[in-house]
Amino acid sequence: MPHLKAAASRTLQLALVLWAVVTILFLMFRLMPGNPMAAYIDPTFTAEQQQALMAQFGLDKPLWEQYFIYLGNLLQGELGQSFRYREPVAERIFTLLPNTLILTFSSLIVAYAFGILAGAYLAWRRGSAVEKAAIPLVLTTRAMPEFWLGMVLLAIFSFWLGWFPAGGTRPAGASYGSLWALYTSREFLSYLALPALTLAIYSQGLPLLLMRSNMLDVMKEDFVTMARIKGLSNWTVVVRHAARNALLPVMTSFAIAVGYQLQGNVVVETVFSWPGLGRELVRAVSASDYPLAQGAFLMIAVVVILMNLIADLLYAFLDPRVSHA
Amino acid sequence: MRFIRKAVLPAAFLAMLAASPAHAGDPIRTIDLFTRPQAAQPQEFQSVQLIAQEWRKLGLDVNVRVMPWEQMSDVVWYQRDKWDVTAWQMVGRPERSDPDEIVFNLFHSSTAEKGYNFIGYTNPEYDAIVEAQRVEIDEADRKELIHKAQEILARDQPNMMLVHPKQTFAFDKTVWDPASVVNQSGIGIRNTWTFLSLAPLGDQKDIILNSADNVQAINPLYISGGVDSWVFELVYDRLARVGPDGLPKPWAAETYEWKDDRTLEVKLREGMKWHDGQPVTPEDVKFSFEAAVSGEAPMYAPFATNIESIEIGDGSTITFTLKQPAASFVTSSLAKINLVPKHVWEPIIEDLKTKEENAESYQEQTPIGSGPYKFERWLTNEEIVLSANKEHFNAPKADRWILRIVPNVEAALGMLRSGEINFLAEFGGDPQVLIQAAEQDGDLEVVSTVEMGFRYVAFNHRRPPFDDPAFRRALSAAVDRQLIVKAAFRGFAEPSNSVVSPALGFWHDASVVENFESGLDAAKSILEEAGYTLEGDRLHYPGDQKETLAN
Repeated sequence: MPHLKAAASRTLQLALVLWAVVTILFLMFRLMPGNPMAAYIDPTFTAEQQQALMAQFGLDKPLWEQYFIYLGNLLQGELGQSFRYREPVAERIFTLLPNTLILTFSSLIVAYAFGILAGAYLAWRRGSAVEKAAIPLVLTTRAMPEFWLGMVLLAIFSFWLGWFPAGGTRPAGASYGSLWALYTSREFLSYLALPALTLAIYSQGLPLLLMRSNMLDVMKEDFVTMARIKGLSNWTVVVRHAARNALLPVMTSFAIAVGYQLQGNVVVETVFSWPGLGRELVRAVSASDYPLAQGAFLMIAVVVILMNLIADLLYAFLDPRVSHA
Repeated sequence: MRFIRKAVLPAAFLAMLAASPAHAGDPIRTIDLFTRPQAAQPQEFQSVQLIAQEWRKLGLDVNVRVMPWEQMSDVVWYQRDKWDVTAWQMVGRPERSDPDEIVFNLFHSSTAEKGYNFIGYTNPEYDAIVEAQRVEIDEADRKELIHKAQEILARDQPNMMLVHPKQTFAFDKTVWDPASVVNQSGIGIRNTWTFLSLAPLGDQKDIILNSADNVQAINPLYISGGVDSWVFELVYDRLARVGPDGLPKPWAAETYEWKDDRTLEVKLREGMKWHDGQPVTPEDVKFSFEAAVSGEAPMYAPFATNIESIEIGDGSTITFTLKQPAASFVTSSLAKINLVPKHVWEPIIEDLKTKEENAESYQEQTPIGSGPYKFERWLTNEEIVLSANKEHFNAPKADRWILRIVPNVEAALGMLRSGEINFLAEFGGDPQVLIQAAEQDGDLEVVSTVEMGFRYVAFNHRRPPFDDPAFRRALSAAVDRQLIVKAAFRGFAEPSNSVVSPALGFWHDASVVENFESGLDAAKSILEEAGYTLEGDRLHYPGDQKETLAN
């Protein structure tokens, strides 16, 4: 029973958060100055054509009516039609989402694999010269703007050394049978390398520092002292006993990081001409394409909320001491 | 110190009053001057700063207001009596090679209320001239009228023309024969003619070019973004095309001939085929023009509404009868309306008539045209691939045309140097950087061309003192265009005083630019002659004119 109740309250919370996000999104774009259709004015337009355009997109209706139409459509999974592309927003978002997800996950997996190992190592070598040099370096990479880092990598590895292509997901004019064939091709990996590396360098700091401080905490605990007293080797103590326990919060932070990473993508996708959702979002906002911008924001918000939920559930699953009761 | 100031100020004020003439008008209010932000439009922003500085020297209080395009166009377009002065621009397009659209829509009084004459310029003499040029079929006579229109505009200065910017593009001259690049007047080397004639020197036979912006649609019945037009101009044929010299040429039409001032006889080229293999027939041509006015393609409707009837004669003759004589018909209609296959579009349009949407939101999976390139593939926000239509009467020398979407300007330049692209079709950065890169590289050729489009400052004639031609003339004269060219455009522009660009050599009236007198002294004497007075350092209205719009 307590489990069911907890699940019900979580669902209600989720619904509330989603409604708030949806409403804020709606208001945010409508409070921006200017008429959205002004961006599409052409001298050959007559006044009647402009009116017709406004009516076609429902912009001639009062704000409250637009809001309820919007909510009603959302409930049916209808995200509306893009002003700019004159095509359904959902279709566009789902075409671009896989590109963004593959970039996000590949960079995060690299970042977390590296961060966890390096964090554990630095905790183990606490106080050494390596640690003294490494920590400021990690903090520096955390503080570097992503677009700058991206441009530097581009200048070095693409324009100077010529090792990697500078933008896109595939060579010009190349055709692949399916998305799967593309994603598993060698060319794709060479196109993915630089943007994923940029994002990975940017995001390895969090797991690294988190892992290190968890390790330091765990190593002070009684069971570690106990293991040492038992005469286990240093390696066994660090890896089998301490690291396993220190890993828990890092794994849940991964889920939350996915959400944050989607924001970071906005910049990296522009620098590396990556055809993802982040770039589309920027373009939609600057072109006053409300339906598309709302849809893209909503999609990112949904991923963030879902990932938070997964983090919560994962924690309870991995650590039985945490319960929702 | 405070004591002295208190005593001196009123005294100075009294002295000023005593010195002023008995019938001085009110001081002119603070003038709002709109511009877009520096980040979005650096050249416009810089020009406006220079202009404001010069106007202040005339005794005007100028307030520069920076706002994003959406907000600026909203005020200027929909609240026509709420603004004073704004920076604005017109971009060049092949169909604007006929001066009609610009000289008519921007200044004719009929478009003042809701159309593109948002400045509210009304001049019956001008109206009569631009109406006359519309129906004048004789080119020499029409040219005279267009020159006359430019002279009136130079006299009235309804807008303050600034510059015609230069378009700068580059290509890899080790991949493409430089002699095969066509520099279209007013457009630059990125144009349909270049994409048809580019001759490969080696194994690379694909034209790979860049665009910063995404392609919105490839739809022959929807005028969408500028980049989209690069694509559909290659996939679809038109009866005529605007040539490299800016004048229309027969294209899918073998010939066209005016029978009288309302009847145009067109002979369709024989043996043309749609990309699906079906022949192009006169019925298809008739259908294409009728689709524009079917109610389902509102953006193309203005280009076909003047057609009264289209008749198919024997063989391949098509006769257009117009409601009104229209001198620009060949450029603005024949060279504008895309030819579409009736067998594809007729069922679509019939179906759309029963629905709320129109043809603008219809995207074919594989667009079928008859043009020199065939549609192959479109990857959202990444690339568009077209392949050469070797059966076309003007078949391209390249194999494929591949458009890569590259939003990062520096990356686009890097790609050109590394060979990832071989034609730089858009460069948003400083042209000087491009030229330096080309010098370092050695393989690149950079070409700059004066644009048909222009940058200007629009005065709101609904609000005094901008209703006074003398005042506008003075403000315009106060600004040195060479300074704008050098400081704001870094030399990549040409000073302007006419909406008809020097790139349109046939129509451009060079005398209005040559005779334009500028300088602060000239501006001051115009104001003085018109009765404006400088009191203290503030400019006042002439006579006893009151300021009715004080803020």
